[in-house]
Amino acid sequence: MASSIIKPGLLVALQELEPSSPFFKEGQSIRVTGKLQAYNVESAIAIIVDGGATLLIDTQHLRDINFRINSMYQFIGELLIPHDGQVVLKARIGRNVDGIDLNLYHQSIRLRRKFEADIVRSKTT
Amino acid sequence: MDASRYAHVKLLAADFLSLAVSSSAPPTISRRGRPIYRAEFVGVVVSRDRRPKLLRFLIDDGSGCVPCILWLNHDILSKSSVFASGDDLAASAARDHAGKVHLGVLVRVRGRVTVFRGELQITVKDVLVERDPNAEILHWLQCIKLARDCYDLPLAAVTKV
Repeated sequence: MASSIIKPGLLVALQELEPSSPFFKEGQSIRVTGKLQAYNVESAIAIIVDGGATLLIDTQHLRDINFRINSMYQFIGELLIPHDGQVVLKARIGRNVDGIDLNLYHQSIRLRRKFEADIVRSKTT
Repeated sequence: MDASRYAHVKLLAADFLSLAVSSSAPPTISRRGRPIYRAEFVGVVVSRDRRPKLLRFLIDDGSGCVPCILWLNHDILSKSSVFASGDDLAASAARDHAGKVHLGVLVRVRGRVTVFRGELQITVKDVLVERDPNAEILHWLQCIKLARDCYDLPLAAVTKV
């Protein structure tokens, strides 16, 4: 179980998942957070929404998670970007995050990115 | 004396995974010249591998995955130890901690920074399940503030305070 086998889910806001984004890559490991808008039991596809942006989540590999419409969920997984279809996150981890302060979460992500860039810079200099 | 020797240093995974490891035996692990002995992380359990004597797991905080090892062999060690009752307590605590580690759970992990086969890892002392998702955000902000106000300062400047 080397740490290199499992990639970290980079913290991404749903609004950032557009073709011009550096996170928008096939197989990219990301962590997304949003409100559950819909869930299809047969296909195990969930739709989450945040700030007007939506994302399909394939939850077929998740266990022990109850889906409630309008609750907040966080998923870690890999992006699947078909040529002709909707982008899907194939989730390997999912959890309920009701009570999360989304404004604080998004502000903190911006602070973290600056801090992590400093770490990379200090390593290279 | 460096007070942080006995403190659990709050780190993001990216910071932890970029610590410097000396080639001496035993290796010295340091961050910007400051030795790091113990560390604390908050993240989501993304991998779990239970063996008879140990539990290996990974916690993902979005900047990296921290390899953690929780030893469960206290029972075996206590058979040959004069401190059997202490080992029994340690064995019970380790089993309790192991029972909290499940995929998708947000945990706070504290332990010693160690090296195994050249890779940094945490030899876990305790595991706490965080039920409030905002606890993770608070931990990130504490990591950033502590790095800038304390961990990044030269060791001599801190010890004089």
